[in-house]
Amino acid sequence: MKQIKVTINGKEVVTTEGKTILEVVHENKIDKIPTLCHDERIEPYGSCFLCVVEVEGMNKQVPSCCTPIADGMVIHTDNERIRRSRKTALELLLSNHYADCIGPCMNHCPARVDAQGYIALISMGKYKEALKLIKQQNPLPLSIGRVCVRECEVACRRKIIDESVGINPLKRYAADIDAQQDHQWVPDVKESNGKKVAVVGGGPSGLTCAYFLTLEGCSVTIFEKLPRLGGMLMYGIPEYRLPKKILDQEIKWITNLGIDVKTNMALGRDFDIHSLFNDGFHAIYLAVGAHKASTMRLEHEDDTRGVMWGINFLRDTPEQAPKLKGTVVVVGGGNTAIDAARTALRCGADKVRIVYRRSIKEMPAHEDEVHAAQEEGIEILFLTNPKSILRDETKQLKGIECLKMQLVEAGPGERPRPVPINGSEFELPCDFLIGAIGQKVDTTFNDPGKGIELEQWGTIRVNKDTLETSIKGVFAGGDVVTGPDTAVNAIAQGKRAALSIHTYLNTGKVNQSVKPFLSFKHTFADVIESELSHFETITRNQMPELPVEKRIHNFDEVEQGYDKAQAHAESRRCLECGCSEYYDCQLRRYADEFEVDISRYLGETRKYKVDRRHPFIVMDPNKCINCGRCVRTCSEILKVSALGFVYRGFKAVVKPAMEKPLLETNCVTCGNCVDTCPTGALSEKFPFKVLGTLPKANYPAVCNFCSIGCNINFKIFNDEIFYVSNSPKEIHDSHNKGYLCVKGRFGHRFLMEQNRLKKPRIKESSKFEFREVTWETAIDFTAEKVNAIIDQYGPESVAVFGSPKMSNEELYLLQKFARVGLKTNNIGSFSNVLYGKDQDSLDHAFGATISTASMEDIRTADVVIVINGNLSEENLVMELKIKEAQKKHGTQLILVNSSEIKLTRFADLWIDSRKGSNTILLNGMMRHVIKNGFAAVKKDEIPGFNDLAEMLETYPPEEVTEAAAISPEKYEQLLQWMENPEAKIVFIYNMDSLREKSTNDLKAIGNFLMLTGRWNQPGSGIILMREYANSTGLMDMGVTPNYLPGYVKPFEKDEIKRIGKSWKMDISKIFPSQDMDLAAKLLRGDIKALLVFGEDPLCMADNLKYFRGVEFLMVHDMFLTATAREADVVIPAASFIEQDGSYTTCDRRVQHIKQIIPPRTQMENWKCIETLAKKFNKNVTYSSPSHILNEIQEVNRFYNRRSEGKIFNKTGRPEFSFYSTEMVTFNPELPTLLYSENYFKTIQTYLKFKN
Amino acid sequence: MTEIKVGLATCGIASGGEAVFEEIKKEIEENDLDVNLKETGCMGMCYEEVLVEVIDDHDHYLYSRVTPDKAKRILKEHLIEHKPIEEWIIKGNGADIGNGFFEKQKRIVLRNCGIIDPGSIEEYMDREGYKAIQMCLKEYTSLEVIDTIKKSGLRGRGGGGFPTGLKWDFARQAEGDKKYIICNADEGDPGAFMDRSALEGDPHSVLEGMMIAAYAAGANEAYIYVRAEYPLAIKRLKIAIAQCEEKGFLGTHIFGSNMDFTINIKEGAGAFVCGEETALIASIEGRRGVPRIRPPFPAKKGLWKNPTNINNVETYANVPWIILNGADAFASMGTEKSKGTKVFALAGKINKSGLAEVPMGITINEIVFDIGGGIKGDKAFKAVQIGGPSGGCIPEKMGDLKIDYNEITRTGAIMGSGGLIVLDETTCMVDLAKFFLNFTQNESCGKCTFCRIGTKRMLEVLERITSGEGKDGDIELLEDLAEKIKSSTLCGLGQTAPNPVLTTINYFRSEYEAHIYEKRCPSHYCPALVTYHINAEECTGCTLCAKKCPVNAINGDKKEAHFINTEKCIKCGLCFDVCRFHAVEKI
Repeated sequence: MKQIKVTINGKEVVTTEGKTILEVVHENKIDKIPTLCHDERIEPYGSCFLCVVEVEGMNKQVPSCCTPIADGMVIHTDNERIRRSRKTALELLLSNHYADCIGPCMNHCPARVDAQGYIALISMGKYKEALKLIKQQNPLPLSIGRVCVRECEVACRRKIIDESVGINPLKRYAADIDAQQDHQWVPDVKESNGKKVAVVGGGPSGLTCAYFLTLEGCSVTIFEKLPRLGGMLMYGIPEYRLPKKILDQEIKWITNLGIDVKTNMALGRDFDIHSLFNDGFHAIYLAVGAHKASTMRLEHEDDTRGVMWGINFLRDTPEQAPKLKGTVVVVGGGNTAIDAARTALRCGADKVRIVYRRSIKEMPAHEDEVHAAQEEGIEILFLTNPKSILRDETKQLKGIECLKMQLVEAGPGERPRPVPINGSEFELPCDFLIGAIGQKVDTTFNDPGKGIELEQWGTIRVNKDTLETSIKGVFAGGDVVTGPDTAVNAIAQGKRAALSIHTYLNTGKVNQSVKPFLSFKHTFADVIESELSHFETITRNQMPELPVEKRIHNFDEVEQGYDKAQAHAESRRCLECGCSEYYDCQLRRYADEFEVDISRYLGETRKYKVDRRHPFIVMDPNKCINCGRCVRTCSEILKVSALGFVYRGFKAVVKPAMEKPLLETNCVTCGNCVDTCPTGALSEKFPFKVLGTLPKANYPAVCNFCSIGCNINFKIFNDEIFYVSNSPKEIHDSHNKGYLCVKGRFGHRFLMEQNRLKKPRIKESSKFEFREVTWETAIDFTAEKVNAIIDQYGPESVAVFGSPKMSNEELYLLQKFARVGLKTNNIGSFSNVLYGKDQDSLDHAFGATISTASMEDIRTADVVIVINGNLSEENLVMELKIKEAQKKHGTQLILVNSSEIKLTRFADLWIDSRKGSNTILLNGMMRHVIKNGFAAVKKDEIPGFNDLAEMLETYPPEEVTEAAAISPEKYEQLLQWMENPEAKIVFIYNMDSLREKSTNDLKAIGNFLMLTGRWNQPGSGIILMREYANSTGLMDMGVTPNYLPGYVKPFEKDEIKRIGKSWKMDISKIFPSQDMDLAAKLLRGDIKALLVFGEDPLCMADNLKYFRGVEFLMVHDMFLTATAREADVVIPAASFIEQDGSYTTCDRRVQHIKQIIPPRTQMENWKCIETLAKKFNKNVTYSSPSHILNEIQEVNRFYNRRSEGKIFNKTGRPEFSFYSTEMVTFNPELPTLLYSENYFKTIQTYLKFKN
Repeated sequence: MTEIKVGLATCGIASGGEAVFEEIKKEIEENDLDVNLKETGCMGMCYEEVLVEVIDDHDHYLYSRVTPDKAKRILKEHLIEHKPIEEWIIKGNGADIGNGFFEKQKRIVLRNCGIIDPGSIEEYMDREGYKAIQMCLKEYTSLEVIDTIKKSGLRGRGGGGFPTGLKWDFARQAEGDKKYIICNADEGDPGAFMDRSALEGDPHSVLEGMMIAAYAAGANEAYIYVRAEYPLAIKRLKIAIAQCEEKGFLGTHIFGSNMDFTINIKEGAGAFVCGEETALIASIEGRRGVPRIRPPFPAKKGLWKNPTNINNVETYANVPWIILNGADAFASMGTEKSKGTKVFALAGKINKSGLAEVPMGITINEIVFDIGGGIKGDKAFKAVQIGGPSGGCIPEKMGDLKIDYNEITRTGAIMGSGGLIVLDETTCMVDLAKFFLNFTQNESCGKCTFCRIGTKRMLEVLERITSGEGKDGDIELLEDLAEKIKSSTLCGLGQTAPNPVLTTINYFRSEYEAHIYEKRCPSHYCPALVTYHINAEECTGCTLCAKKCPVNAINGDKKEAHFINTEKCIKCGLCFDVCRFHAVEKI
């Protein structure tokens, strides 16, 4: 490659030809160029134009992702013009993005509480998490959950289908659950920062501000004029809506965080702003509310007995409430009027009437409240206004004179104006009159002229964004700023003030708030019913209430709150409007970064229905930005082309091929499109509700399905696994480049299953029922039973079985438990035992039956021959590696398979040979090699070569083609490939598949490799695909009667002695055992005690025959499997991400998985095995998985090749690691392998070709 | 022997040429005349179709606008009675035919069009056909051929104007065993039909041009990418290719040389963007027609990643002439930077719409007035739109501009492939820009953000302006978006899409301003901004308009002046169209 020089942002860079500008800029870490359409794993494309840069001498900006560098180029990656261009690109993209980042509920909540998030958490039963989420914005959910005006529910999109979701009742539900606990959730309070803040006014705004400042470490004092905290929540909301006890409780949780409370302290009377500063407060928050009642402007309002003001009337209830009787008239239409009327009823009034000058439509009170009042028998006289007070000479109220009103249209956006109808006066007799027409701010605290600046209507003047007042260090919020407003708005301002004050205390300045970019459907168009037609109608769960007769004579809380069933049913009504990709969306991230404003470009928007027909993938074309990453990944990497573009121009969009449902295309459900999608256009369909804006943590791990060992990423919220993704950068850098198959991407959902076993259980002796027991009981019971059987039948009657899904550490420990603890060599795995799969076919050749090539070799292979493997179904990622090699290296794929499979389409040569004829084919190939002088071994060098050649003589081409039923032309093509001794050939063979296997074909491959000298040549060899994550490790660890760890065979006396020494016992008495055929032993009924770890042989009833002698069965598993159901003891297993462990891939890489979440079972698997083993041999003691690993490295000769005895590097990341391909010294009887007698003996045993 | 030629290109067929042909054939048979009847291509005078040329011992007689009935009379009077029907013959001979239509033309590309039978390889060969390729194969090296083309100054006629010889040389120098030649016949500009006519009228000259290019570049396989909407061109190409194969002009060892050459036809599905070379290549390869960034240029990595030379129909058609007549003969025509001729498709508000091949350096006024016969209906000439949707408007005041790649580019328009639409005073320039932008927006492949959404937003602004809802700042918004779209798109379609808007803003800004600020369309075209009014002095009270008005918005007594109720009027314009006294006016 030619070296060239380019100048980027004034910096000279030397690099090689052929790279793109973006690559060079990123490689040299000169700048981070934004891009949406670029994915380094696929061909450059250039569509989003976010990555534009300027090249001197070119008159237009160029997309850096697909512009190759040229010698001498002078490049600028950042200037005002470039930024403007990038910003416009984003604005254009977002001007056609009919989608919501967050739901309308959260958007309309003044306090921005993530309603979708807590609803999702409630639906999962995670009430504490729900409460924590709510309290991030609102520290008073117990109270607000009862009294909120619910702007969220007004905005709720569910209303388009039926009724809004009961968002507020759900919030109350989460808060109530917490309140019922013995210990409530308490937030973390930061260490004191030495700052003192005075909060004046203990209402919702003041409490909120105090709460958040306290959490930040400030020392806060609340000054309250009235005797109790709570403000209007305490003094304005009647008991039957918000019991004082509940409010007090919630206030106490806040003040208990360390807030100093001074009640009966009035601003302007007992202290003022200056005195606070003098007392050492660094900042002040004024939230004194609006408590002064507005008058009805009626004559004698002040001096008539029986006339009251609503707000004062409410303040006194219930203990000191006046006893009322007769008729009460309440004037007004707001919540205070309704509250006063309903309270009046409860104070003993016989009849309560509300007089309101407009109609019900204009009434500002919440409709639920109006409805409840009417239910309780309160009469509302609409279009009626008091004109004068009627009283007797004793100034005792007798009634009021009213006027009927009519409404006239007012200006746009205003309520209609009521005007009196002339001559409509009538008298309304009453005993009490309560005026409830509003409140205002009482500004008597302020020193006119010298104090704080006020607005003309008496509220405090603030900077609307930061809430700073005219005095430095003094902030104000809540009703005293807004005038009478909602509690949730007061809370929102309290939090905003806390943020301002916190910044002010730390920096001396206050920052304007940064509004994140959020896309909303309503920016473009109203959401109409047909868009939501796929949702079924579900009636809202009505809030349970006390019946009218039981509530109107007392102050008992009317609303009873949802029960669990209602809460869960209601939570499932949420439509999940907010985007599931909120946190991962690159489009949103850049929109924030570039501060986009789409208003200039608003116009027509595409609208599509969301396609949820695929079981795992949701397609929302509304969010598609036409970057084509999915289309290109599907065609370039997978070569599946399930997705494509349709239409042209503005209408161009990604759709499944032929616009069919995705599942009806070639889609293989690998989910790699979801991974590469930079927005939420392609997302995963979760088995749970979408979690709003909750962040999830990323945990890299290794896939636990097949033995390729793909690196994956778990997205975890709290201790709950949410899903597997492949997006983080480090996973992209892995050997599988982040690409996964359906199992890896979606298969790990089983870890979330609710029916996991969590506690050990023992079968009741008489019934087929289990009782849960402690760990100790279960293990003791097992040991006792096994001991009894050993006593009766001897150690040979016990067998231990392990699963190839267990880690090396578990498996090593398991065989040691059997051999050292139980003193039996009956150790194995049903995965190998049941079907008699040959685990030793290559032993004679290479010393062990393991891969000689690595997956890296595929990249440079000239020919890949796949025999007995349906990669598309079994090991998709291996198939992707072959496809990549085909594309980049020109690798030829030869597929030997009797029938057409998906891979056939990509094969350069498909040998459609008859099933069972693989060995014949291979022998024919070897004959060709010898005949034509391509053998790498010379005739005279090898004793017995003639025998081989003679045997192969019986495989002439015409006989091979006839037996294999392939055309001579195809055979000829196949043979041509054998004629180039330089060609690197890699065989891929699925050891665990019996579908296309023929007897001895694996041995034949081994011989072919040796004959052509390819067995130890870099780049050539065989890869044995295995079915389970640790099928290789299982053999490596000696979980088989045939070998000790490290493939130590019966005749390797020294090795056996060495291992015995390490295990502190004479192992030669145990290994080799007399009879190593476990299957036969089981069938004969010789095994009396069977300990099965992680396997489920009885999922096939036929396998019961292996259990005929079993008197005691212990099963260790995550689920109650068919085998577990038969067990005497069932011990719950931890999953692979609940503990540390290493796994060995099919091509001999040892990869490490760190514990991601603690075990659900409370015990890690290695600990369980160790505890059991210790019951038999005290020497089996370990402190941790890494302790076990240290021993593995000592005992297993192939695991100890790393310097300092470490397999993993310090970061703990999986790392490529060979444990040896040099098998030469492995078998003392086979010192030179190819030249040995054994080698040719092996050949002698081959299937002979018979005419 | 007397010969009768009937113009049966698409223009002739559309005017009823096939019926005329059948009628003549029938008459000849019935009267047992010794006449050689044949079809021919378009001679350019599409406005006079159906054209029937009678060549007897005396002279050529060109009959215009012939119908089957007329044909019957021509046969009877001219051929049987030997009395040519003078009133139907277009006056003059040779260059004078059609009142000077050919006078200023210089026909190289169209040298055989309308003269030979496109279905006859012999007729092509009679006019020196396939001599040029044989000369090349025998006498010239590939380098010499390229030198000749370089010297001739031929530039790509597809619109880009890249020097053809240089392009061939790149392909020749590119490394690769397999090289391709592609003929771009995906002519997609609205109003352009040069390539179609050339293929229909003289397919062999295109094939011969491709052979020469293949020889020069070292290619042995070619594709003609022709849109499926050109069935006649495809049919004639297929016939021509079959004839060549039969004669050994295509296949192995063509003309007995060492060169192998095959030509395939790929029918495109009519996507405009497939005229862009990388999209075209993608389409031949069976993929979605989406452009990619260049470099690498097709000359290095083209069809199936092999070196590929792409030229359009007109470029190839020039090549045999240049080889036969020499580079100097070609270079002697035109301006310093633009040599030879250019075929224009004249359309729009022009009297003589059709095809004209003119030497480079001719002025716009000459084309419009001297060749095209001026503006229809004696309206005022306003501008020409040149270069199709990628081009722009050149106003009347620049009518003396010379046809030259560089000169035209300087105006903000482009030479393009040769569409030339003449606009008169009744054309609204904002609406015109909207028309072209709508075209490019619909034809954008949808790949690049700025082209896909940016042009859409520009179009919306234009729609807003023409419907009377334009806002202050709209012109600036258009200019801003236009600049960004030009700068930030991958292919020519996107980079030139704003040209019609930019040139109209540049030369007719006041029209935009009138729409936006005065809510007025100066050309009285935009329906939302037009008010209909009846001039009482002209109105005779015939009541026709009132009867035709679909919403009964016109009132008035018989024989009295009528008036329009503007509140009811839906501005359909029916009254304006039906009034025989020009009493209905647009304001």
